[in-house]
Amino acid sequence: MITWETELSKALVRGQAEKRMILLDFFNPG
Amino acid sequence: MDAVTYPNAKVVDFVTSKVVPLRVPADAQPLSSDFKVTWTPTLILLDYYGKEHHRTVGFLPPDELIPSLILGMGKADFDTGQFNDAIVHLDELLANYAKSAAAPEAVYLRGVSRFKSSHDAKPLKEAYEKLAADYPGSEWVKRAQPYSLL
Repeated sequence: MITWETELSKALVRGQAEKRMILLDFFNPG
Repeated sequence: MDAVTYPNAKVVDFVTSKVVPLRVPADAQPLSSDFKVTWTPTLILLDYYGKEHHRTVGFLPPDELIPSLILGMGKADFDTGQFNDAIVHLDELLANYAKSAAAPEAVYLRGVSRFKSSHDAKPLKEAYEKLAADYPGSEWVKRAQPYSLL
Protein backbone atom coordinates (compact mmCIF):
# COMPACT_ATOMS: atom_id res chain seq x y z
CA MET A 1 0.00 0.00 0.00
CA ILE A 2 1.20 3.48 -0.83
CA THR A 3 1.41 5.85 2.12
CA TRP A 4 0.70 9.31 0.79
CA GLU A 5 1.88 12.61 2.11
CA THR A 6 -0.94 15.16 2.25
CA GLU A 7 0.97 18.45 2.48
CA LEU A 8 3.28 19.83 -0.20
CA SER A 9 5.62 21.44 2.31
CA LYS A 10 6.23 18.14 4.08
CA ALA A 11 6.65 16.29 0.79
CA LEU A 12 9.28 18.80 -0.38
CA VAL A 13 11.23 18.51 2.86
CA ARG A 14 11.13 14.75 2.56
CA GLY A 15 12.11 14.94 -1.11
CA GLN A 16 15.14 17.07 -0.29
CA ALA A 17 16.18 14.71 2.50
CA GLU A 18 15.75 11.59 0.38
CA LYS A 19 16.88 13.18 -2.94
CA ARG A 20 13.67 12.08 -4.61
CA MET A 21 11.12 13.68 -6.87
CA ILE A 22 7.56 14.25 -5.68
CA LEU A 23 4.62 12.54 -7.34
CA LEU A 24 1.73 14.94 -6.85
CA ASP A 25 -1.66 13.33 -7.48
CA PHE A 26 -4.68 15.59 -7.68
CA PHE A 27 -7.64 13.29 -7.12
CA ASN A 28 -11.39 13.70 -7.37
CA PRO A 29 -12.69 14.21 -3.82
CA GLY A 30 -16.14 13.04 -4.93
CA MET B 1 -6.27 4.74 -10.10
CA ASP B 2 -7.40 3.61 -6.65
CA ALA B 3 -9.03 0.42 -7.91
CA VAL B 4 -6.39 -0.78 -10.36
CA THR B 5 -3.13 1.10 -10.49
CA TYR B 6 -2.20 2.13 -6.95
CA PRO B 7 -2.83 -1.31 -5.39
CA ASN B 8 -0.60 -2.97 -8.01
CA ALA B 9 2.47 -4.52 -6.37
CA LYS B 10 4.93 -3.18 -8.95
CA VAL B 11 3.46 0.31 -8.65
CA VAL B 12 3.62 0.19 -4.85
CA ASP B 13 7.25 -0.91 -5.01
CA PHE B 14 8.21 1.74 -7.57
CA VAL B 15 6.40 4.62 -5.92
CA THR B 16 7.55 3.83 -2.40
CA SER B 17 11.18 3.35 -3.45
CA LYS B 18 11.62 6.05 -6.12
CA VAL B 19 9.44 9.09 -5.32
CA VAL B 20 7.72 10.88 -2.47
CA PRO B 21 3.99 10.31 -3.03
CA LEU B 22 1.74 13.29 -2.31
CA ARG B 23 -2.02 13.28 -2.75
CA VAL B 24 -4.39 16.22 -2.51
CA PRO B 25 -8.02 16.79 -3.54
CA ALA B 26 -8.39 18.55 -6.87
CA ASP B 27 -10.29 21.37 -5.16
CA ALA B 28 -7.57 22.04 -2.59
CA GLN B 29 -6.58 25.69 -2.73
CA PRO B 30 -4.26 27.34 -3.47
CA LEU B 31 -2.51 24.25 -4.82
CA SER B 32 -5.12 23.42 -7.45
CA SER B 33 -5.05 26.94 -8.87
CA ASP B 34 -1.29 27.18 -8.61
CA PHE B 35 -0.93 24.08 -10.78
CA LYS B 36 -3.94 24.94 -12.99
CA VAL B 37 -5.70 21.64 -12.33
CA THR B 38 -9.06 21.29 -14.06
CA TRP B 39 -9.53 17.54 -14.35
CA THR B 40 -8.68 14.37 -12.47
CA PRO B 41 -6.59 12.41 -12.18
CA THR B 42 -3.82 14.92 -12.79
CA LEU B 43 -0.39 13.55 -11.94
CA ILE B 44 2.55 15.93 -11.73
CA LEU B 45 6.17 15.09 -11.11
CA LEU B 46 7.98 17.80 -9.17
CA ASP B 47 11.59 18.16 -8.21
CA TYR B 48 12.23 18.73 -4.53
CA TYR B 49 12.23 22.48 -5.07
CA GLY B 50 8.61 22.20 -6.20
CA LYS B 51 9.26 22.75 -9.88
CA GLU B 52 7.11 20.81 -12.34
CA HIS B 53 8.84 18.60 -14.92
CA HIS B 54 6.16 16.21 -16.14
CA ARG B 55 2.37 16.01 -16.13
CA THR B 56 -0.30 13.54 -17.21
CA VAL B 57 -4.07 13.85 -17.16
CA GLY B 58 -6.33 10.79 -17.12
CA PHE B 59 -6.15 7.21 -15.95
CA LEU B 60 -2.92 5.28 -16.36
CA PRO B 61 -2.75 1.51 -15.87
CA PRO B 62 0.23 0.11 -13.95
CA ASP B 63 2.28 -0.68 -17.04
CA GLU B 64 1.89 2.92 -18.18
CA LEU B 65 2.26 4.76 -14.88
CA ILE B 66 5.73 3.42 -14.13
CA PRO B 67 7.25 4.32 -17.51
CA SER B 68 5.52 7.69 -17.37
CA LEU B 69 7.23 8.40 -14.06
CA ILE B 70 10.60 7.24 -15.39
CA LEU B 71 10.12 9.54 -18.36
CA GLY B 72 9.39 12.37 -15.93
CA MET B 73 12.61 11.65 -14.09
CA GLY B 74 14.50 11.75 -17.37
CA LYS B 75 12.82 15.03 -18.26
CA ALA B 76 13.85 16.51 -14.92
CA ASP B 77 17.45 15.47 -15.57
CA PHE B 78 17.23 16.94 -19.06
CA ASP B 79 15.70 20.19 -17.82
CA THR B 80 18.56 20.64 -15.39
CA GLY B 81 21.31 19.81 -17.88
CA GLN B 82 22.12 16.41 -16.40
CA PHE B 83 22.10 14.68 -19.75
CA ASN B 84 23.96 11.54 -18.76
CA ASP B 85 21.50 10.94 -15.91
CA ALA B 86 18.66 11.53 -18.34
CA ILE B 87 20.11 8.89 -20.66
CA VAL B 88 20.26 6.39 -17.78
CA HIS B 89 16.58 6.92 -16.97
CA LEU B 90 15.52 6.78 -20.62
CA ASP B 91 17.57 3.65 -21.23
CA GLU B 92 15.81 2.06 -18.26
CA LEU B 93 12.43 3.00 -19.67
CA LEU B 94 13.20 1.66 -23.12
CA ALA B 95 14.74 -1.55 -21.78
CA ASN B 96 11.75 -2.40 -19.61
CA TYR B 97 8.75 -0.60 -21.12
CA ALA B 98 9.44 -0.38 -24.85
CA LYS B 99 5.77 -0.93 -25.67
CA SER B 100 4.50 1.80 -23.36
CA ALA B 101 3.00 5.07 -24.54
CA ALA B 102 5.96 6.90 -23.00
CA ALA B 103 8.51 5.05 -25.10
CA PRO B 104 8.50 7.17 -28.30
CA GLU B 105 9.08 10.38 -26.35
CA ALA B 106 11.86 8.59 -24.48
CA VAL B 107 13.56 7.67 -27.77
CA TYR B 108 13.36 11.29 -28.88
CA LEU B 109 14.60 12.72 -25.60
CA ARG B 110 17.39 10.16 -25.34
CA GLY B 111 18.61 11.15 -28.79
CA VAL B 112 18.60 14.81 -27.84
CA SER B 113 20.30 14.05 -24.51
CA ARG B 114 23.02 12.10 -26.31
CA PHE B 115 23.50 15.00 -28.68
CA LYS B 116 23.64 17.51 -25.83
CA SER B 117 26.23 15.45 -23.96
CA SER B 118 28.41 14.69 -27.00
CA HIS B 119 27.71 17.51 -29.49
CA ASP B 120 27.62 14.76 -32.09
CA ALA B 121 24.56 14.91 -34.36
CA LYS B 122 24.58 11.18 -35.02
CA PRO B 123 22.31 10.31 -32.06
CA LEU B 124 19.65 12.63 -33.43
CA LYS B 125 19.51 10.77 -36.71
CA GLU B 126 19.58 7.44 -34.85
CA ALA B 127 16.62 8.60 -32.78
CA TYR B 128 14.66 9.42 -35.91
CA GLU B 129 15.52 6.08 -37.48
CA LYS B 130 14.45 4.18 -34.36
CA LEU B 131 11.22 6.13 -34.12
CA ALA B 132 10.45 5.53 -37.81
CA ALA B 133 11.20 1.81 -37.45
CA ASP B 134 9.65 1.03 -34.06
CA TYR B 135 7.00 3.73 -33.54
CA PRO B 136 5.92 4.78 -37.06
CA GLY B 137 2.55 6.08 -35.88
CA SER B 138 3.96 8.25 -33.14
CA GLU B 139 3.88 12.04 -33.20
CA TRP B 140 7.54 11.88 -32.18
CA VAL B 141 8.47 10.59 -35.64
CA LYS B 142 7.15 13.85 -37.03
CA ARG B 143 9.00 15.89 -34.43
CA ALA B 144 12.24 14.08 -35.27
CA GLN B 145 11.72 14.29 -39.03
CA PRO B 146 14.32 17.06 -39.54
CA TYR B 147 16.99 14.80 -38.06
CA SER B 148 16.54 12.39 -40.98
CA LEU B 149 18.41 14.95 -43.10
CA LEU B 150 21.51 14.99 -40.90
